[in-house]
Order: sequence, then structure tokens, then C-alpha cells
Amino acid sequence: MDIIFDNIGLYRDGFITTLQICLYAAVGSLLLGTVIATFRVSPLPPLRAAGTAWVTVFRNCPLTIVLFFCAFGLPELGIKGAYFWFGITGLVLYTSAFVCEAVRSGINAVAPGQAEAARAVGLTFTQSLRDVVLPQALRSVVPPLGSVIIAMVKNSAIVGAFGVGGDLFSVQARLTSAQGLSLIPVLLGVALGYLIITIPAGLALGVIERRVAVMR
Amino acid sequence: MSAPAAADPPMIRMVGVHKHFGSLHVLRDINLEVARGEVVVVLGPSGSGKSTLCRSINRLEPIDEGGIEIDGTPLPEEGRALARLRADVGMVFQQFNLFAHKTIAENVELAPVRVRRISKPEAHEAAMQLLTRVGISDQADKYPAQLSGGQQQRAAIARALAMRPKVMLFDEPTSALDPEMVQEVLDVMTSLAREGMTMLVVTHEMGFARRAAHRVVFMSDGEIVEDSVPDQFFTAPRSVRARDFLGKILTH
Amino acid sequence: MRWKAVLRVGVAMAAFAVATTACGQQQGLGSSSSTPSVAQGVHFEPGTTMAKLAEAHTIRIGTKFDQPLFGQQILSGNLTGFDTEVARIIAGALGIPPDKVQWVESPSAQREELIKQGRVDLVVATYTINDKRRQQVSFAGPYYLAGQSLMVKSDNTAITGPDSLRGARAKVCSVQGSTPAENIRKYIDPAQLTLFDVYSKCADALRTGQVDVVTTDNVVLLGFVSNSNGAYKLVGDTFTKEPYGIGIRKGDVAFCTFINDTLTQAAKSGAYANAWKTTAGKVAEQTPQLPTFDSCS
Repeated sequence: MDIIFDNIGLYRDGFITTLQICLYAAVGSLLLGTVIATFRVSPLPPLRAAGTAWVTVFRNCPLTIVLFFCAFGLPELGIKGAYFWFGITGLVLYTSAFVCEAVRSGINAVAPGQAEAARAVGLTFTQSLRDVVLPQALRSVVPPLGSVIIAMVKNSAIVGAFGVGGDLFSVQARLTSAQGLSLIPVLLGVALGYLIITIPAGLALGVIERRVAVMR
Repeated sequence: MSAPAAADPPMIRMVGVHKHFGSLHVLRDINLEVARGEVVVVLGPSGSGKSTLCRSINRLEPIDEGGIEIDGTPLPEEGRALARLRADVGMVFQQFNLFAHKTIAENVELAPVRVRRISKPEAHEAAMQLLTRVGISDQADKYPAQLSGGQQQRAAIARALAMRPKVMLFDEPTSALDPEMVQEVLDVMTSLAREGMTMLVVTHEMGFARRAAHRVVFMSDGEIVEDSVPDQFFTAPRSVRARDFLGKILTH
Repeated sequence: MRWKAVLRVGVAMAAFAVATTACGQQQGLGSSSSTPSVAQGVHFEPGTTMAKLAEAHTIRIGTKFDQPLFGQQILSGNLTGFDTEVARIIAGALGIPPDKVQWVESPSAQREELIKQGRVDLVVATYTINDKRRQQVSFAGPYYLAGQSLMVKSDNTAITGPDSLRGARAKVCSVQGSTPAENIRKYIDPAQLTLFDVYSKCADALRTGQVDVVTTDNVVLLGFVSNSNGAYKLVGDTFTKEPYGIGIRKGDVAFCTFINDTLTQAAKSGAYANAWKTTAGKVAEQTPQLPTFDSCS
């Protein structure tokens, strides 16, 4: 416990960095994943193909490889930027594939008559998706999306290996190897930091789930 | 019953329409015209293709062959033009298909606001008038699941009417209702017919067909077998298949 | 009597193994590879680490797999570098031939745990001796005095040494949990520091211009310079003293003393200088002297 309190500043900075990464990456992957899901149910075959290809690539590639391409592939293409954003980009690309599949399963769970009725009153595909199908799909999708986002928070521990300085997990390397502290107590502190993010996230999801259930 | 005005072009025209579901030939060489202001009832045993015919008119079911025109305009491919055309074609489903996450009033307002770009207050006022007209204005703020089947179907009719459609399609509108609720829906439909709305109604309600239809179309095995005025169809059907069908229906 | 016979057979087999491996290595590495001498008929006081290792006739050595000139895995799967040569010298002194050495990849952040958990017998992995680490492990040596330096692109004139980094707003890259990463924090703002898990990523970031400087011990940087076809250079003098030690289980004084004696002998016999010349010496100008040892504790 002393190790944690003696280095509380380092832990706090790491925690804040990880929280920032997770917030940006969560918003990004939820938006992008939903857009890709609409591609996958689109009536236009090229969009459907693009959506399927996206999911196939990013869901089946290890996150480490996606992050490699972001941190080292993008600069190769002449794209310069902070590793912080490269790391978030990698997390978003990877997580969006899982968000997409969760949202798509939600869309498929909405009775087909809902989309038919929307089309029959003259809504375009986009309108029927936005006004009728997605709002209903997202309700059934809260629990799986929650799992996806919590997994993303844990996955964010890898970005430290790709130049994103000072995230929570990298606190471990500074304290153990550079300062020579014992690994296990240091890691317990790191684990605590992640739990402070993931457990309230899980509780918040429960609340959201109950709220949307009442609205139904 | 006054004869419909013989205006050109017809509101619905189907020419040589064919459709298959896999190996099943569900529409065979359908040729049908519905004039402006005309009420046509489509009868036939289940599996005869009458529902598919109804749904193909606004391209909820794409056809394999032939042509369909609405008010002189051929049905466009999937896209904005088709959405615009569907806005002019009201449709009422067997299962109501009210938007489950929206209140009754919101169900009626959605398309006028999104498609016709009418302001929200204006759309709400129009919605309330329509709900009054179908007799459920007091249910405006409830969600579909809180209403009875009959009330839901009347709300669905109001939703379709809110777009001021040129023609209304009814796909077995009373088949999913408890018997005591059938009449309230039929009453709304009958008054619509009286007001001169062009209607194509797929139904098993013989009473409605006798009372409100100008023409009865009888389908069997994907074909139109008879197309005549109600009196003649019910009293002296020409085909064997229609006689069989009527025999089964009327004895029950 | 029986035990001695077994030992004799074992040594004979080991010699045969050395001969065959040496042939294989010559095909893979060329004639520049040094073959450390393997002690024969060694005898240690029972109960010591040396006795256990000699009897087991194998040793698990932690080293870097990705550090040019010190510990790098080449395409044939063999390891090459100054660290691995030093390790082979020590193994040889225990009567263990190179092909009986089990190499364990030891990234900077894992070295103490590998030793404490007994998953390696010793670590030779550009391992700087410091007091914090001394609380967890013991060090033999140092066998080399490195010093932190800066590597930049050859056409960079703005950066001349650590004191020029802040003014040039230079982006500096190093490895998480390493001593150089901690040292450089004095000279730059936190936002200027980029950390990876291995130096090869830093080198790539320098190549693509994502960072301006890579900093760590000079010899490590020299490895990258040697592979860069003149694209990179070192700037400024070394600004730290990094005594590289050999990490062993904490408190194993006998083993520490044995290693130090072995190093002293290797310096006398020329094996130490040979280990350097065939590896890091290909790039570095001077062959180092064996530093004065710290006391074993």
C-alpha cells in the first residue's frame, strides 16, 4: 500500500491519461461503429461490402498489429502526429468493428415491420435508420456495447507500448524497472486504477439499461 | 354508390407483373388498373398472392418482370425518388407496425416533419385532427403497446393519412384484430371510401367488400381470376375457383 | 569414482557438441565469431550455484533479443552481441558449452522479476547497476561502463547535447522503465518524451521523423548508427555513467565472486577484448578496459 501512496502523483497522472484515452476512444468507436453498422445493412451493395471488409479486417487482426500500423504505418505514409492520437486511432479502428457487430445485431433484432412502415411513409433509408430503427436497436444493444467498451478500457493498456506516454499501465514500468520497486504491489495499484474506471462504467450501464427499459 | 370519376391516367396501373419467391411463382402476369377515387377490394384464399400484389405497388416487394405506375409515374429504383413516391402512397399493415419507441402523436407527426418539412407545431395540430377523426385523440401521448389492436390500427391509418396520400393500400388491416375491434377499423375505412379516397384493400371482410368497394378482384394461385363489381361477384361468380372460395367463406 | 567417470563422459560429449555447433555457427556467422573456451574437469564447492549449474550442465541466461551489438537474435535464431559473448565466457568457465545455454529474452522491465522468480540464473542485458535494483538483485561486475548519449539524423545541426534539447523543442524517444528514460526527464518537458517498449520502435520513429532524438546508452545507439548507412549520428559526449552489471540472485556472493574472477581472467587472456572486437568493436572506436568491480554483497 505504501508503494501506491508514495507514488500517488504518478498513479494519478497515469489514471488521467488512461481516462482521456478511453473517453476519446469510446466516443470515436461508438460513432464510427454505428456508421459502419449502417453500411452493413445499407441497400447499396458497395457500402455493404465496405462495411463487411472493415469488420473482417479489424475484428480479426490483433490489436497490437492495428496499433503498429497506426504508430509506424501512418508516419510511413507521411502522416505526422502525436502518438497519443495514433494510439486512440488504433483503439477506435479496432473497437469500431466490435461496436458495429453489436449494433448490427441490435438492428436485426428490431422487427422488420418497423423499417417497412418507415419506408412506406416515405422516409429515406438514412431517415428510417436514424429515426426508427437505430433508436430501438440501441436499447437492446446497451449490454453488449457495455462489454465492448469495458474491453476497450482494458485494451488501452497496450497503447503504452506504442509511444503514448504516461498511461496508467506504463506507470508499472517506471516504478518497477526504473525505480526498482517490486512488481506485484505496483501492479496491484495499476489494477486498482483500471477498476476505478471499469466498475463504475459497468454500474452506469446497468442504470442506462434500466432507464431505456422503462421507456420502452 | 356513385361511379368513380374516369380520370386519366389511372392511379395504379400494373402491366404484365411477375414475381417469384424462389421456385414459387407468386404473381403471374398481373394486369390491374385502379382509377382515381376508386375502391378496389382484393379477395382470395391465403397464399393466392394478394398480399404480395399489395406490397409490390409501393415496391416493398420488388417485382421480377412487368411495370407498375402510380398516377402515371413508373416506380423508381430504390433511392430518394422511390421515397418521394412512397410518401404519396399510404400503407396500412396487418400488424399495424406503429413505431414502438414513439407515442401515437409522434408516430403521426414523424413523416410530415421529416419528409414534407412541415414545422413541428403544425404537424402536431394536423396529427391531433387526424387522431380525432379516427376517434383516438385521447390516446395521443401513449405508446403503441398501451393501446388495443383496434386503436393501434386506427392510429396507423391516421399516420398514413398524415402524408395526404393520393392512394391508400390496406394489407389485411383487420386480420390481426380481435373480432370486437374489427368494426371500428372498418368504419374508419368506410368513411374514407365515402370521402373519395382511392383505395386498394386486401381483406377477408366480405361485408366491407359489398358495402364500400366499387370493384372486387379475386386472386388465386398468383393470378387475377375475376375482376367485377361486388354484386356480380357475390351473386354470380364466373369461375369455379371463386365459387369454391365463396362457398367456404360464406358457410362459415 | 563413478561420479568422475560420468563427468568424463559428459565432458567428452560436450566437447563433441561444441565442435559440431562451432561448425554450424561458422556457416551462419562467418569467421568473425568468437568461440569461448569451455573449462574442462571443473570442480566447485558443493552447494554453490556454480556447482549446481556445472552439474546440471546447462544455464539459463537472460539477455536482450533486439539490441544490436549487445544482444540480438539473427535470422538463424542464434544470438550475437557483446552481452551474449560475455555470458558465453561465464558459461564456459562453468564447463557449459554455448549450445547448452538457454537464452531467455529479458526486456528492461522484466529483468528483476526473472531473477527473483528464479527463471534465469543470470542476466547480461545492458543492465545498469543502481541502488534501487540492488535492493532486489545482486550484481557482478561491472563488465562495461556505458554512458547515455543522443542519436539524431545526420543532417541535424540544432541538437548538440542534452542541454540543447529543450530549446530545440526536440521530441525525444526512449524505452519505458529504462534508466535513460528517467535521466532524460531532467533535460526536457514531459510532452517532449515518447516512450516505447523496445528501442527498435524508437529508431523507426526517428527514421519517419516522428521523433528527433533517440537517447540511451551509447553502445546501443552505435548499433543503430552502424545499421543506418550514415543516416544517423551520435551528438555530444556521454552524459551519464552506466555501469553494466551481471544480475544474479540477491546475496549470492560466491557466484558474484566467481563471475568477477572469470571476467578478470578473460581480460588477461584476451577473451574479453576478443568478445568486444567481434561484436560492438565493429562500430566503436576503442576497445574498453574492464572496469574496477564493485564489491560483491
